[in-house]
Amino acid sequence: MSTVRTRLAAIALVLLFASPAAALTDEEALELIKLQDERQNSVGDYKALVFIEQKERNKNDQVYEALVYRRDVTDKMVILFVRPKEEAGKGYLRVDKNLFFYDPTVGKWERRTERDRIGGTTSRRQDFDRSRLAENFNVKWLGEEKLGKLDTHKLELRAKPGADVAFPVVHLWIDKATNNLLKRQEFALSGRLMRTTFLPKWFTVKNSQGKDVWVPREQRIFDEVEKGNQTTVVIRQVELQPLDDSYFTKAWLEARSR
Amino acid sequence: MESLRILLLMAFRSLGGHKIKGLIVGSLLAFGTFLFVLGTTLLESVERAMEASITRSITGHIQLVSARAVDRLTFFGPEASSDQDIGVLPDFSRVREVASKIPGVAAVIPMGRYYGQPILNTELDEAIEALEEAFAEGDPAVIEDRIGKVRRMAARLKEDYLRAAALAADDEEHEKAIAALDRVTSEEFWTSLRHAPEEGLQFLAFEIAKLSDDESMLYLPFIGTDLHRYAESFVHFEMVEGEMPPPGTRGILISQAAYDQFFKNRPARVLDLLHEAKTLDGRRIADDAALQDLVSRLKEMTAQVTMHLSPRAATELDAKLRERFPKVEGDLDARLAAFFEVDDENFAERYEFFQKEVVPHIPLYRVPVGGTFTLRSMTKSGYPKAVNVRLWGTFRFKSLERSELASAYSLIDLASFRDLLGLMTAEKRRELDSIREEVEVSEIDPNDVEAFLFGEAPVIEEGGEADLDLDARLAALDRPTDEDSDTFDPAEIEKGTILHAAVVLHDPGKLREVMARLQEAFDREGLEVKPLAWSEVTGIIGQLVVVLRAVLYVLIGIIFVVALVIINNSMVMATMDRIGEIGTMRAIGARRGFVLALFLLETLVLGFFASALGALAASALLALLGQTGIHTHQPFLIFLFGGTALYPAIDLANVVWSFAVIVVISVISTFYPARLAARVPPVVAMQGKE
Repeated sequence: MSTVRTRLAAIALVLLFASPAAALTDEEALELIKLQDERQNSVGDYKALVFIEQKERNKNDQVYEALVYRRDVTDKMVILFVRPKEEAGKGYLRVDKNLFFYDPTVGKWERRTERDRIGGTTSRRQDFDRSRLAENFNVKWLGEEKLGKLDTHKLELRAKPGADVAFPVVHLWIDKATNNLLKRQEFALSGRLMRTTFLPKWFTVKNSQGKDVWVPREQRIFDEVEKGNQTTVVIRQVELQPLDDSYFTKAWLEARSR
Repeated sequence: MESLRILLLMAFRSLGGHKIKGLIVGSLLAFGTFLFVLGTTLLESVERAMEASITRSITGHIQLVSARAVDRLTFFGPEASSDQDIGVLPDFSRVREVASKIPGVAAVIPMGRYYGQPILNTELDEAIEALEEAFAEGDPAVIEDRIGKVRRMAARLKEDYLRAAALAADDEEHEKAIAALDRVTSEEFWTSLRHAPEEGLQFLAFEIAKLSDDESMLYLPFIGTDLHRYAESFVHFEMVEGEMPPPGTRGILISQAAYDQFFKNRPARVLDLLHEAKTLDGRRIADDAALQDLVSRLKEMTAQVTMHLSPRAATELDAKLRERFPKVEGDLDARLAAFFEVDDENFAERYEFFQKEVVPHIPLYRVPVGGTFTLRSMTKSGYPKAVNVRLWGTFRFKSLERSELASAYSLIDLASFRDLLGLMTAEKRRELDSIREEVEVSEIDPNDVEAFLFGEAPVIEEGGEADLDLDARLAALDRPTDEDSDTFDPAEIEKGTILHAAVVLHDPGKLREVMARLQEAFDREGLEVKPLAWSEVTGIIGQLVVVLRAVLYVLIGIIFVVALVIINNSMVMATMDRIGEIGTMRAIGARRGFVLALFLLETLVLGFFASALGALAASALLALLGQTGIHTHQPFLIFLFGGTALYPAIDLANVVWSFAVIVVISVISTFYPARLAARVPPVVAMQGKE
């Protein structure tokens, strides 16, 4: 909590003494993305109920309800589909930077990549995981931009060598008034735009130490390659109580469908 | 009338006087006609046979697809193996209701073509399961039999791992695998397993079974359909083995050819291929490199027989092979390899021995009829979907058994198909709607997202939705039950989404008429559906006939152009030769028209007799072929011929057409020399000058 306050104060100070359209230095830009990471960092374990809706041109819509379990300290994560019935029991497990998929019908695990589309939607593993921007990317300020009625800083993030990310180049739009992340665009190395995500709604949850953890309530993800495909991820509720170690094992996920 | 008689007499006299010229021109015209009649008749027969092959087995006469389809629906050729964006028909019942009211429509069958990967139990999985069953039943002889089998497989697996370890940089997983295999190849393991099977069997199932990974990248193309309606509507369809799944039951029917090709024990399959090549195609191993290659591969497949044999069966087979190959050193595998060294002389006898002495002791197919396996498909976005399906039986299309094209697709029930592709049914729609109703997500205009979402400063709320119990959601996780997985409500088939539909007609001759009526009816009902003729969805196969036709016409065209030039030249020369004769005719009162008519008639007479001869020869040959048939064992030709033989039928229209073409060519080619002759002034001719 105190770190967040210090950072906020630092940023406020920078903004106070700077002229309105002044560029952010690399350090200031880095502070801004560190703030995003820290706001979303739950410190302890994390459990969430998530709604995912996929709309595709010329295709049936797909809707999922999933439970997400995270232990950010050890970088472990489980996404377990609970509804619809047909998808219930399928899930993803991330351990040691490896992403595995389990389908109870097949009864076998298979390794998937960071680029894997969760449930075949436009969403990726990172959309459900803790924000690790400062750890994975180098950042640079690109300018100021208007987003609807809001004034924003536009930042460019480039993946550090060896970082395990779905997209190597990311642009972020951060609200100048609240330092809140509003929009994200992801690019392939070739410079091709792959996805645009809007984050219009946020909520906060208090963790056991009384820290406010920021949660993107709604993520609107537009597929820029398959135009017309759109995914909405809604995080409906988050609980931050400690989880049992067994959650982050293959055996736990397998047992859900027995 | 009198002048026509004179003209005819003169024409015959002139033809008789220029025999060589007549023979050359006549032969050309006769050959052209022969080729025309023969070629067009054969092509039309192939076209009719192929139409029957395709429409009575897979496509029906008309395919109905979404009017929003981006790609063309294609059943065969390279386009068929790529992802096709053909959209969906959201409610089959509406499509069927509208289409079946159109006169001439016999049946409307829901369809969808896709492909999946069968996830098959490895041979070791099966051997371990068989051992578990043996312990459950408690017969000591059977237990020993099966222990022998698992031990043999484990020993082979260990050899493989040790070989791989010697080649590759070793890792932890590899070491673990070898340690586990060390344990199951030791005598102590089996001694303790016999006394207390529980722990040992668990070790085999959990630690050893996963080490044998013989998943081949096999993709099975299939059509999701209403199996019963399909079987009733496609007259070529017939079951080979097993039975149709009862109505409302999930399941798959695999085409017998695909079953043999992908599921049959490999050495048994190779022996079948050799047997077919020798008996049906008359090929010889001695002079066929492809068959020799099969034989050399066969010799390396001994393990796929021996690992399945129980110790008793192995001993018995070994004894019989020892009699045949007393000098061969080593184990059963060595003797079997010697047995597999087949040639043209010993093949028939060894094939029979294999069927009699080996086949009854091995599982002939990786999934037996009546067995269940997992079929997995990837959605377009790469998300794996899987269903467990029971193999109810195998089928074939009458007279197309050996055609790989006709056997390309297997048939799966529509409920499983929809699960694999994530297609909607009314029930699934209700379930998704109920999930959706709990969450308020507003529709946004993708063109104006920013103004919509960021019109005002966002409010950061405290806490997510109230009264949500996450643990209760986990506890309520509900997988489909076995009952759900095996059966479905047949009414659901009608209401759900499909990819396309086949329409079978009472009279294929009314194809275009019915297509127009269908389009009209769909437009009137506001359904976004487009009818496509069978020839439009057959990809490369449909185009083949067009290409063949073009080649034939070009060939005939060349022959006729050559004939035209030769006739023209020889007639010009003939005119020069006959200048005196023409002058005399003109001097005694023959008009120009008479000379013109004489020359034209000469060629026409020649053309008539020549083409009659050509047409007669072609008709005689076609009549003969119509009796004996043109036989083939080539899988592709079988598909084109609609069976192993094509029986061409003469079409009078082709004969009439060939006559018409000959008349036109004769007239065109003779017109210039005839005019030249007609213009010869009598005085020039009398003077003997040119």
